[in-house]
Amino acid sequence: MKPKVAFFDFSSCEGCQLQIANLEEEILDLIEIVDVVSFREVMKEHSDEYDIAVVEGSIMRPMDEHRLRKIRSRCKTLVALGACATIGGVNKIRNQWPVEEVKKEVYNDADLKDNKFFNVSQTKAVNEVVPVDYYIHGCPINRDEFKRVITSLALGKEPVIPNYPVCVECKKNENVCLFELGKFCLGPITRAGCGAICPSNGGACDGCRGILSKPDVECVMDLLKRYDLTYEEMKSRCVLYNTGVFNPKDGMTFVRRRKNE
Amino acid sequence: MSKNIDINVHHVTRVEGHGNIVLDLKKGKIKKLEWQISEAPRFFEAMLCGRKHDELRSITSRICGICSIGHSLASLKATEDALNVEISEQTNILRRLAINAENMQSHILHVGYLAFPDLLKLGSVFPLANSKNKDALLKVVKLHRLANFMSDLVCGRTTHPIRLILGGFTMIPTKKQLLELKKELKSGLETTLELAQFIKNKTDGFPDFKRETEYIGLSSKKEYAFYDGDINSTDTGIFKDYKNYNKFINEYFVPQSTALHAKHSRESYMVGALARFNLNSKQLSNAGKEVANLFNLRAINYNPFMNNIAQLAEYAHNIENSLELIDRLFDNKIKDEKSGDFKIKEGRGVGICEVPRGMLIHDYTLNSKGRCTKANCVIPTNQNHANIQKDMEKLVPEIIDNPKKDIELNLEMLVRAYDPCISCSTHYLDVKFV
Amino acid sequence: MTKSKSVKIITKKNLKDFVKNLIKDKKYEVVGVKEKGIKFAYGPLENANELRLDYDVTLLPPKKYFLPQIEKLIEYNLEKKFEYKREEKVKSRILIGVHPYDIIALEQTDKLYLDSQEDDYYKKKRENTIIIGSDIEKVNERSFAASMNTHVTDSGFDLLLTNIGGDYAITIGSKKGEKLLIKYAKTKPAKELDIKKIKEKRKKIKLEYTKKLKVPKEDWSKVLVANYDHPLWENRSQKCMECSSCTMVCPTCFCYDVIDDVSLDLKDGNRVRTWDGCLIRDFTKVASGEVFRDDISKRFRHRFYRKGNYLPERYGFVACVGCGRCGIACLPDIADPCDVMNYLSHFEKSDDTDRFFLKQKTDVKEKGTIHIPQSATIKRTEQYTKSEMLFEIELDDKKPLGHIPGQFVEVSIFGVGEAPISVSSGPSNKSTFEIVVRKVGNVTNRLFKMKAGDKLGIRGPFGKGFDVKSFEKKHLLLSAGGIGIVPMRSLIQYVVDEKNRKKYKDITILYGAKQPSEVLFSEEIKEWCKVDNVKCELTVDTCADKDCWTGCTGLITTLYPKIKLDRYDSINTVAVVIGPPIMYRYVIKCLETLGIPHKNIYVSLERRMKCGVGKCGHCQINGVYVCKEGPVFNYDDIKDLPEAFE
Repeated sequence: MKPKVAFFDFSSCEGCQLQIANLEEEILDLIEIVDVVSFREVMKEHSDEYDIAVVEGSIMRPMDEHRLRKIRSRCKTLVALGACATIGGVNKIRNQWPVEEVKKEVYNDADLKDNKFFNVSQTKAVNEVVPVDYYIHGCPINRDEFKRVITSLALGKEPVIPNYPVCVECKKNENVCLFELGKFCLGPITRAGCGAICPSNGGACDGCRGILSKPDVECVMDLLKRYDLTYEEMKSRCVLYNTGVFNPKDGMTFVRRRKNE
Repeated sequence: MSKNIDINVHHVTRVEGHGNIVLDLKKGKIKKLEWQISEAPRFFEAMLCGRKHDELRSITSRICGICSIGHSLASLKATEDALNVEISEQTNILRRLAINAENMQSHILHVGYLAFPDLLKLGSVFPLANSKNKDALLKVVKLHRLANFMSDLVCGRTTHPIRLILGGFTMIPTKKQLLELKKELKSGLETTLELAQFIKNKTDGFPDFKRETEYIGLSSKKEYAFYDGDINSTDTGIFKDYKNYNKFINEYFVPQSTALHAKHSRESYMVGALARFNLNSKQLSNAGKEVANLFNLRAINYNPFMNNIAQLAEYAHNIENSLELIDRLFDNKIKDEKSGDFKIKEGRGVGICEVPRGMLIHDYTLNSKGRCTKANCVIPTNQNHANIQKDMEKLVPEIIDNPKKDIELNLEMLVRAYDPCISCSTHYLDVKFV
Repeated sequence: MTKSKSVKIITKKNLKDFVKNLIKDKKYEVVGVKEKGIKFAYGPLENANELRLDYDVTLLPPKKYFLPQIEKLIEYNLEKKFEYKREEKVKSRILIGVHPYDIIALEQTDKLYLDSQEDDYYKKKRENTIIIGSDIEKVNERSFAASMNTHVTDSGFDLLLTNIGGDYAITIGSKKGEKLLIKYAKTKPAKELDIKKIKEKRKKIKLEYTKKLKVPKEDWSKVLVANYDHPLWENRSQKCMECSSCTMVCPTCFCYDVIDDVSLDLKDGNRVRTWDGCLIRDFTKVASGEVFRDDISKRFRHRFYRKGNYLPERYGFVACVGCGRCGIACLPDIADPCDVMNYLSHFEKSDDTDRFFLKQKTDVKEKGTIHIPQSATIKRTEQYTKSEMLFEIELDDKKPLGHIPGQFVEVSIFGVGEAPISVSSGPSNKSTFEIVVRKVGNVTNRLFKMKAGDKLGIRGPFGKGFDVKSFEKKHLLLSAGGIGIVPMRSLIQYVVDEKNRKKYKDITILYGAKQPSEVLFSEEIKEWCKVDNVKCELTVDTCADKDCWTGCTGLITTLYPKIKLDRYDSINTVAVVIGPPIMYRYVIKCLETLGIPHKNIYVSLERRMKCGVGKCGHCQINGVYVCKEGPVFNYDDIKDLPEAFE
């Protein structure tokens, strides 16, 4: 029995769903091994009966939470697709400021009180609203990783997501380390699985797949000194995708304290 | 005709983003007809404020998954405008290749996957895989792959490009890779013409609908404008004062939409492939003209459904233009370059590009430390929402005698013809941030 | 003194032509050291001008051509029951510019990969690659190869180039190299003066090394064994980012992982091998979730011990060639072995260099194949509990497995993976053997869905089993905790079998399970008790009212006071303990109370076994490979190994 799969999107750029459309001929293989019953972006048909729900995007409003909870109740397995869904992604950057302040600045005095479209709260990742079974990280996702997860689910086995940093993949690619080129790369503390695509193309890693481990205090301080960066600048880089982990309001809470302190 | 019809298409399918079509017909009279945008605003302006000049591109790229290269380029142009950064000719050519690639990718995705099924009365492309028209699907897939291959090569990654940076590129393609690209482009050109023939001969074509409106886009004396050009309108002509674009475009708030609407000399205007065609069709390449002629598409065409055909014509044009650009790179001997030096200073910059769905404007104000204090974007789809609303208001009375299913399909097809990028259009709103 | 090799001289221009000719001959893929941004790397040469013999060090060592970052081992067809093929064609290659330290590293890798259980993927690549080495022309500031005497070499290459001023000297290292020169190069014989110039060049290069070792590599073992608990490991590793860059760039690191990939249409797939690193936390993680080397300081320390003590003691070479790559790659700069050893050189040394090995060397008759499983069919299944199931398996060649009690097999399911599973039936002449599987991970979960007639792959048997000969004429006290009864059963079946029963004295079996529903083999246990002088004592940790359990309750340790052994008996009793890690400490204490000496106690330890042949590196307990020297260990042998019972 082919599992029934449905795709949903919340607040996102839809770039992750686009990666699925970008499977090109392989999308025909995909629809052979699973039954795609709902994929708003490319098909008209829709069904409310599905085994696997793939959710892209962050959750911003009560009406979105409501829709998400409905989806969770209908499916057996929920997969969070892309950084917006897995860790909040760039959508969380605005969590640095209180919601009312942001709304007032954007819409000024427009009367939005009972308008449910505008009833926005702090950005949440999917797992802050409902339990998530599997995570496909990245901004955007890596197509190969998506294929691995879907084939694992179709075969009834647990997908394996790397639990080691981007450096492993970057070194395997024989890239020149970006630190040696004067760039500050978050690769050493970011989860691998993307094939180190950004460093392989000359761009420093921004941590879009989520921070894996808290680096040691002194190590970070040494590195910053060596590369002539301030702590503020580093925090500012980390906030891009990982505001949840690196709340800029706190002090040095995102680094690992020494054992003898 | 005393007809009562209630149409509520919640979250229109085969468009990017969330929009609803609401039609309330009582006794043959339209009580309510709305194109609603329900997409959650993501407050990108909040995200940009306080960020460094070299972070803006990668954040704005995330406004949209389909036009991330377009946003990146408009963002870089705006920042470079503010900081007076010069780019080399090689960078200019590579960026034009990038914008061609994105245009191709977005157009074929739209025409092939999103609009095409309507012509064959299907819910999606998937059923084609097992039908006698499988060949057509394979052509669409091949053209999509070509566009992805090209943007992966030039930008490092199609969605959220990596190689595009202030003043240049982190890495450039090798000569060997460009030669392979040329080969693929040539083959793709043949396929494009074959696909156009298929659509012409094997499908019923798009509805015949006409509503006069204004068309706005970029124009350039040198070529069919995408990367560079001046704002142009079919009503008022060229507008050179790009930094004061807000004197030209007027954005306003409507309650049924989390996205703003826009107008210029009429109640609404259209941007996108059809607008560009109406302004610059003489500058299309030979293949582009060939596709347009096949469907009798001539400027000025007032049928929004023909936006699909204009996109197909642009795809063919992008291929031929790219072949020329690659030859230029070879002539100038492609080589590694360092991005130009610049000083961080206070300033305001505006960057305008034609992206697949129309004219895109990024406007940044930087402080003396190079941090963004004010940001604004004018998104193509924003500029189309009012036109969609007006088109619907003209279309419904013309098809009011058709069965409900037909009316619904036609309204959806109308929305799809615009190829809206709804997520983008809800993200940019004019903001000053403290 | 080695036999002096023939040396030729070639002009710079002729050298370029030589390379040009090699490239033109499409028979070989010509690879050389090229520029890569601000660094250097091995890559295919399109023209001779790309070759840069004046490089200091490459980003990655040439190991990537022999043990690729990702290597397809098997291609399987999932639409058939058991069909696969392996890549037979290997490209002929020439590597140009290999520095002496990298040549030496490859020879070290040979010792590991071309041992009695050869890795023929590696072998084929080695045989089909011609090595044109090059004496070092520029020294990297992080390299300490001179202190390791790896800055020069006179073996391991087919040709060796030395820049002696205007010309190059080519030392011929093999017939293959000689043939190549004759066919493609214009050379002339070297004169006395040229040979002198080579020697001078090498002397000169040695002087350019600024990084120097304070402790010779011969003493690394002695320094390390004395400083296992030094605070250095804790302190230095605090900065470690666990990125494993050090192992990725190292020419003498060759641990790997094996993963099964499936194509999107589920019709076929590949079993691939990829580089793994011991600094990665999941390196020692098993399917049940346990991580055997969790603490970062322990993983950090392990790398140095492997290089400086474990491999040297086992193979006779220090597995570090001083190339400097890890020093360059490590961001917090803690990975440099020269820095670490220089620091430790101020402290004690010890001669007890085999401290981290077993005292008794074992003579293992190796049987299993590396990588390729043989096909086998499930004959029968029997589900015991909701998470344990028995499988009776027959190899498709109908031959008996030929195992010893205590050994394990790697069960392979294409598309899912491989899992190490103990053989649960005693050795016999039957063509079938049994395994009992607990559902914990991907492979075992898939097994549960299989039935009689389905096929799977078997590699093995692997490991050191119970030395049943040494048990003869002794009492046997067999303690099994939880799932430990499964491997224990292979031993029990053997000793209670009427052919063997007389060889042993009294047999006592103690078995503790968590709950009544988890007790395995209850019917069989009754049969065992019927055999002469065989006693079985069962207990469960806890028992709910609804379970109808009439036996004992309490931990397995409660059973020992019941055993009466006098002094003579206790020193003639062999005790075997198999159970979860936590059980060992307590049970061993009970055995000590009974007066059983440590050398009479045998344990079976679980680690992450993957290759089964001591190459992938995952199963190490200090210097010991559990898959080769275990899983059965003599307690006396292993009790002092720090990583054995943590």
